[in-house]
Amino acid sequence: MESTPAPQKLSYRNPTIIGLISSVVLTALVIIGSRNLENFDSALFGYTIASIVAFGAIAFRYAVWLQRPATRIYFKRGLQLFFNRRKFAKSAKSAATSIATNLVEQRFIFKRARQRWIMHFFIMWGCILAAAITFPLVFGWVHFTLEGDMGYRAHLFGFPLIVMNGRSLIAWITFHGLDISAVMVMIGCAIAIHRRLNDRGAIALQQFLLDFVPHLLLIAISVSGIMLTASSLWFEGYMYSFISLSHQALVIMTLFFLPFGKLFHIVQRPASVGVELYQNRSAEMEQAICPRCKAAFVGKLWMDDLKRLVDELGYDYRLKNGHTLQDYCPRCKRVMRGLAYAKAPDKAEPVFFGSRVGGPNV
Amino acid sequence: MQETMFVDPQRCIGCRSCVAACRECSTHKGYSMIFVDFFDRGETTATMPTICMHCAEPTCAQVCPADAIKQNEDGIVMTALKPRCLDCRNCVNACPFGVPKYNSAMHLQMKCDMCYDRSSEGLKPMCASVCPTGALTFGKYEDVVPLRRTKPVNIHYFGNQKVETKVYLMMPTNQGDAVHVEGDTEFEEHLSQKAGEEASWLENEMGETDHTNEFRS
Repeated sequence: MESTPAPQKLSYRNPTIIGLISSVVLTALVIIGSRNLENFDSALFGYTIASIVAFGAIAFRYAVWLQRPATRIYFKRGLQLFFNRRKFAKSAKSAATSIATNLVEQRFIFKRARQRWIMHFFIMWGCILAAAITFPLVFGWVHFTLEGDMGYRAHLFGFPLIVMNGRSLIAWITFHGLDISAVMVMIGCAIAIHRRLNDRGAIALQQFLLDFVPHLLLIAISVSGIMLTASSLWFEGYMYSFISLSHQALVIMTLFFLPFGKLFHIVQRPASVGVELYQNRSAEMEQAICPRCKAAFVGKLWMDDLKRLVDELGYDYRLKNGHTLQDYCPRCKRVMRGLAYAKAPDKAEPVFFGSRVGGPNV
Repeated sequence: MQETMFVDPQRCIGCRSCVAACRECSTHKGYSMIFVDFFDRGETTATMPTICMHCAEPTCAQVCPADAIKQNEDGIVMTALKPRCLDCRNCVNACPFGVPKYNSAMHLQMKCDMCYDRSSEGLKPMCASVCPTGALTFGKYEDVVPLRRTKPVNIHYFGNQKVETKVYLMMPTNQGDAVHVEGDTEFEEHLSQKAGEEASWLENEMGETDHTNEFRS
């Protein structure tokens, strides 16, 4: 009669291969993009190696994540719906809207709480700005050359770009881009930590490794990064190499922390675009009707996928009446359970004369 | 945590104090995660309070594509982790008890976590602290059960599927050690008659027209 869910079987073979291939591809891109390492800055070697290893680790973790039956079904169905030729334009529009509202504007975080949105805005855009500056430099894809007394020329993949005056505002912003991003990250992390120290709900649920360590790492990176600027600008390079080494160690620790815990949402979150596409498209299709209240409550395609998933996971919710429990809407599931409860007792039981021991009419 | 919840629908008078109090919980501030459903308001005054039963092997966590629903060392099945939840609603429709709620605009699932901010410190969850009849009681098994003539049961059968839970349902009978849910047909005729009708204000307020578990933001 009873059925026990089967444990999920994970295979590490394919994820390992995917992780290794990802690292090899990135290495090749570093070599090609830096023109056979001609433009590669050897002072950044540690960062480059850490980035390549972390990239492979993230690809490995992503591939493991896709093995979850639920994730696999969503991933396949999302791609299938997106590449449906007849609806491609509509799907592309839906995906573009989701990217704009969910990933760029992040309206859903604003709906959760305004303070949370401000916090996330500073951390996310600070990190994106820092990554956009750092990774091309670390991979040797961007480098600068001096032209004349004041001219700085940027090169992308070895191709020369514009020359800018080294004393101009644009140059100042470019050279202090990482300082600006560090300030943004620190503001965001300060708001986050303040909330975690004061919000009762957050205090009850948070864990040090998952919720504090990422913020502490980001703050440490930002502070040490600003200390590098301060050392070179105002302290004549005092302790520069020590700070530089500490900064590098902190960045590498954070890169290696990416596949785990909270930071993994950075690569996981874009999946919401596919989920939203699936939700939108299934809402336009035939709807599943609750057999009890006759209400249409979800898309039929979506419900069939869910039932297949529940079955694949080893659950057996088939009822005697031929339906599966998931065929019923949430409210009917609750009422049906209530009715099963109400019908269970033998009405001759003395308990119906008062449910408390020693109560009246015993 | 040795304490757990004991739900006794026989004692429920449908006052909805629990629904109001649930909004005060700090882990889901402003949103009630509890349900008080009428079986059929036209036929009976009986109500069914539903909180998360905190399954030993939670279906909601298994069907989550983002691995966002975690069970802690106390056996409490937590609300989805905010950074991970993708608003896919798998948990909402897979849960055999019809418990998780979602909000599309927030991209978020939320559910009863037994007021973990309170219960982890030994305080009663909000619903249990206000329930005037003890339909929702929080305490240790050895403290609560001897006071009741009703029988604590923490096993449900939904068709072929056995579901064991941390929360107990107090059965007004000594027969059987489990609740068997098999798609009851009671009141179905009445429901079919009402299917095409426009819902009244009261039906909307009572949640009788909500078939998706979306909470209002």
